[in-house]
Amino acid sequence: MQLARPLLGWLAFGVVMCLLPAFVSTGTVRILIFANFLAIFAMSWDVISGRTGYISFGHPFLIGIAAYTTAMLTYHLDTPLWLSIPAGVLATLVGGTLFFLPALRIRGTYFALVTLAFMELMYQLTQVIAPKITGGTRGLSGIPSLVSGAIPNYYLTFGLTFAIGLGLWFILRTRVGAALAALRMDEGAVAASGLSTIRLKLFAFMTSAAVAGVGGAFYVHYLGSIAPRGLFDINFLFTILVAALLGGSATVAGPILGAYFLTFLLEYLRPFLPGPERYVIYGTIALVVYVLEPRGLHAIAHAAVRRLRPSRASAAASP
Amino acid sequence: MTNILIQGFALSGLYALVAVGFTMIFSVGRVLNLAHGVFLMLGGYAYYSAVQVFGVSKGAGLVLAVLAGAAFGVLTCAILVRRLEHNPIAVEISTLILAVVMQAVIVVVYTSAPKSMWPIVSGVFRYEGVFVSHNILAAMVVSWIVLGGLLVFVRRTRLGRALRAVSMDRKGAIVSGVDPHRMSLATWAISGALAALAGVFFATYTQLTPGMWVAPLIIAVAVVVVGGIGSIVGSLVVAHLIGFMETVTTTLVAAELRGVFTMVLIIVVLIIAPKGLFGREEL
Repeated sequence: MQLARPLLGWLAFGVVMCLLPAFVSTGTVRILIFANFLAIFAMSWDVISGRTGYISFGHPFLIGIAAYTTAMLTYHLDTPLWLSIPAGVLATLVGGTLFFLPALRIRGTYFALVTLAFMELMYQLTQVIAPKITGGTRGLSGIPSLVSGAIPNYYLTFGLTFAIGLGLWFILRTRVGAALAALRMDEGAVAASGLSTIRLKLFAFMTSAAVAGVGGAFYVHYLGSIAPRGLFDINFLFTILVAALLGGSATVAGPILGAYFLTFLLEYLRPFLPGPERYVIYGTIALVVYVLEPRGLHAIAHAAVRRLRPSRASAAASP
Repeated sequence: MTNILIQGFALSGLYALVAVGFTMIFSVGRVLNLAHGVFLMLGGYAYYSAVQVFGVSKGAGLVLAVLAGAAFGVLTCAILVRRLEHNPIAVEISTLILAVVMQAVIVVVYTSAPKSMWPIVSGVFRYEGVFVSHNILAAMVVSWIVLGGLLVFVRRTRLGRALRAVSMDRKGAIVSGVDPHRMSLATWAISGALAALAGVFFATYTQLTPGMWVAPLIIAVAVVVVGGIGSIVGSLVVAHLIGFMETVTTTLVAAELRGVFTMVLIIVVLIIAPKGLFGREEL
């Protein structure tokens, strides 16, 4: 019974999203593809930052490692995609270890700043070190794609989002998930209860890096091109962070919800505000929601449900 | 050699000015203001509008830019930071969102095309075959005057000592009759004003673009992290460390690599000595 309701929610989510392309235009399907990628990145961010409280300002670094690895392998060496994508994810895991080292000593503000420095470092390095291989400032284009057309890409990306979301949900509802949440509240207490905080953190960082790597590798093969400015960028970081926070961090449904909400907010503002004003409204909405309810839309939706059905409030377990 | 010395001092002075407001906010309020780069950008654009669009004199333009920075600092503190004060991470995230919103606002008002600013002080300084613009020398002199003034202000005046009291021990300051809310408003106003002043010089040194806030933010983070978050003297020393490191890299190694060493320095110092080389958290 504990498991039945949320699983039903996942099933409904999967069915609705699978049927969706039949009812909407190709343009909307392309928007949904981006929303799926954003959802993957936001879920990845949330595993480190939402769960354990180690705020990462350098997630584009992790995504970029996978994206660059697979892009360079296929571009220069014609490596088949089934080999280059896992190689990219593997490289991201190594990058995740780099993230993990400072987390052994510092947390909070200082950790966030180190990760920001990692991202900027990567931005500078891709342009300077071996520009023949990385493509320098202009990046690489003409990277082969996995499948072509909007609909196949949609099902591919949604499949990834759904699998990652469900997988994370299963992992994080176990005792490991509870321990990670405890890490956010009081790291000393976790250590005092005999758990290895190092292993817990390593687990969270590796999970997050793996998800970021999968997302980044598929992302670059969807886009077909890669450049340092679009990737190692504070604006990209901003979108990921806001998607996770706006949806509701420390939940799995939250970042997915936030990603779809943000992407569609931006698209639905387009007819009214074709110019750059759109980004002002979009950012302001994000800021206002965040300041008024830092727990995000997920918490707002929950509060609404609770108000409508006070008697069943306790049964409303979150997916 | 002379070249490196002159350029190094000039650049370091500018960097110290960029970073000092950032360090003040941290030491008084224990929060990082990731919109700091935006304060600089607003100063730059305010000066540009006043002087190059409306034809106000350069001096009046500087005053207007500083006032705009102070006003924006106060607004940010009163509307945003006040609500989230108990949660430093939330302040960081919300000021980051604010920065991106302000970048969009700048694009709406001024378009995303880069604008070049006239130098505040025109002319070039020549010494033994070394050319340095008067403008960046002016930035260096201004930063020395401002930082010296700030040290005197913090050590000698009543308001400055109240600020230090809050930065050392918030509860103790309250007991002695200092209102920490008013102090944090004052800090944000000063920080905004200094950032706007730095922004005018920074923009004449580079260019005015809506994305220009990232570079000074990174510099401020580097200076403050390496120096030990919150120490004015530490920030000053490290601004020179970073300024000279970048100048040496640019002239002797390769211009493209100058940012790389700064980032490596941040990462290494934060891992080895998380409290910075001058580790203290008060003014």
